[in-house]
Amino acid sequence: MSFEKEMMEKISLGEGTSDRLDIPLLKYLWEASPLSFLAKESYHEFFKKISVLSSFSDNEVRIFTKYLHRREFTTNEVIFRQGDSGYGFYFIFSGAVNIYSSHSTLNSDDPGDLIVRLEKRQYFGEMGLLEEFNRRTATVISAENTILLGIFKPDLERMLEVHPVLGAKFLRETALIMANRMGQLTREIVSLKKKMKELDQRI
Amino acid sequence: MSKIQKIKLCLFIFFIIAAVVFAILFPRLTLPFGFAYIIYIMAHPLTILLTKGTVRQRIWYSFLFLLATLFLLFPVFATVYNANTDLSGLSKQLPEIQKIIQDKFFLFKVNFFEKYGIRVNLDPVNFMMSKLEFFGSDFVSRFPDYLSSVFEWILLVPMFLYFFFKESGNLGTKLMEAIPNPIFEKAYVLFSHFNTKFGEYIIAKFVEAAILGTLVTVGLLLIGFPYPFILGFVAGITNILPYIGPVIGFIPAFGIALLSKDPTVSMWGMVIIYTVANLIDMILVFPLLVSKIVNLHPIVVVVSIIVGSQLGGIVGMIVIIPFIAFFKILFIEIYKDLSVNI
Repeated sequence: MSFEKEMMEKISLGEGTSDRLDIPLLKYLWEASPLSFLAKESYHEFFKKISVLSSFSDNEVRIFTKYLHRREFTTNEVIFRQGDSGYGFYFIFSGAVNIYSSHSTLNSDDPGDLIVRLEKRQYFGEMGLLEEFNRRTATVISAENTILLGIFKPDLERMLEVHPVLGAKFLRETALIMANRMGQLTREIVSLKKKMKELDQRI
Repeated sequence: MSKIQKIKLCLFIFFIIAAVVFAILFPRLTLPFGFAYIIYIMAHPLTILLTKGTVRQRIWYSFLFLLATLFLLFPVFATVYNANTDLSGLSKQLPEIQKIIQDKFFLFKVNFFEKYGIRVNLDPVNFMMSKLEFFGSDFVSRFPDYLSSVFEWILLVPMFLYFFFKESGNLGTKLMEAIPNPIFEKAYVLFSHFNTKFGEYIIAKFVEAAILGTLVTVGLLLIGFPYPFILGFVAGITNILPYIGPVIGFIPAFGIALLSKDPTVSMWGMVIIYTVANLIDMILVFPLLVSKIVNLHPIVVVVSIIVGSQLGGIVGMIVIIPFIAFFKILFIEIYKDLSVNI
């Protein structure tokens, strides 16, 4: 439901709205306006362009952004290492990150092989948000000056407590992300098995 | 870790150490701050419940602030109002109490001499009275200091409380921004974990105190023991202190039973009521409410209380337990990380 609809519904139910100016809301609407030339890109615009969160209403995005933590990383700064305890899910607001995986469990400076490069509006670390005792399965290093928006386990718990509908919706979207990744993994495993079979036959 | 990261980390550690040193050096500020934080934490579930509605957050925060301030000021004014009556009553009764103690001690000396043939030449009553006089004059000379610290608390606690209510979650988020990237995730989660556990512990202890206080009050009312409400209240409040609390809470009732000339005042009845109430607390209430939150060895708890009383008096004795529980979790986390990385 959009914010406008929500307000109209409140008025029709006779709940009324405050006659006082809500400065944070006005600031948010100003930043969210497509005509606004001041803001480079607001959180609102950013999340509206992320496909998995597209089902969020304007008001839900506004509330959701209150739970996020903005973290800035310089080039080649380690965001987290393989084997670290994981508690958070990150969206790339600007910049890019490289994801590495190593066969060794030892904590060395070598991050391992480059798996993938993720750029603006992509996300990583969703397992850390859902698993109880999560260990990061890869090392993530910023490829350039990067701004990440992170949401962590305590934020999700607080969101479920204060805004349960939004919390449940976010969990559903996170589950969808996980399902997509699982599907991708399954396809890769099938393809690898096929290639192995072909190799076996050739040998 | 890059050089800038190392500098940021060092600055952050320095800031934390400076904050701890400041807290130890200025207990007149940190204790009201801690007390306001305890009230804020206790009101937190109510805050969530109230802010879910359509009424503006600021109105609810103001309402909660007023409620908490009244809750805070009521005992202060009630104590000031009743203290005068109680003190004049006590000064009238003091010679009587002195005579009772002297008589009882004389009987004890006679019995001891008859049984063991040893004469006791001690005069504890005069010793106690001189001590009492000393404490009395000491209290009178320090009274302006006590009064000023009471007014300090009246001024500071509501101020801090309003600050906590107004800033609510924003303050935590702003403080968290200062944490350097390499330790952010872990520090944030541990801080949130501590906050939750601390709130749960404080609420659980107060609920436990209310249950024990009610049990003692009802029990004393049933056997017709004097001052059941005050004694129940004292038993409940002192019960907040683990292990030592029940003993301290029992002393006033024991004193009344010992000094009372009224034959209806039953010492054994009172002892049974306190024992049953504390057994119910130990067997039922504590395991269900508190022990799940703070899982510490009894020796650790007792040592922590002594350290807490040294650092911050009564408030220190109460808040030290969740702090120790937090440090336990912190060490377990560090140990787990080390065992993965080694």
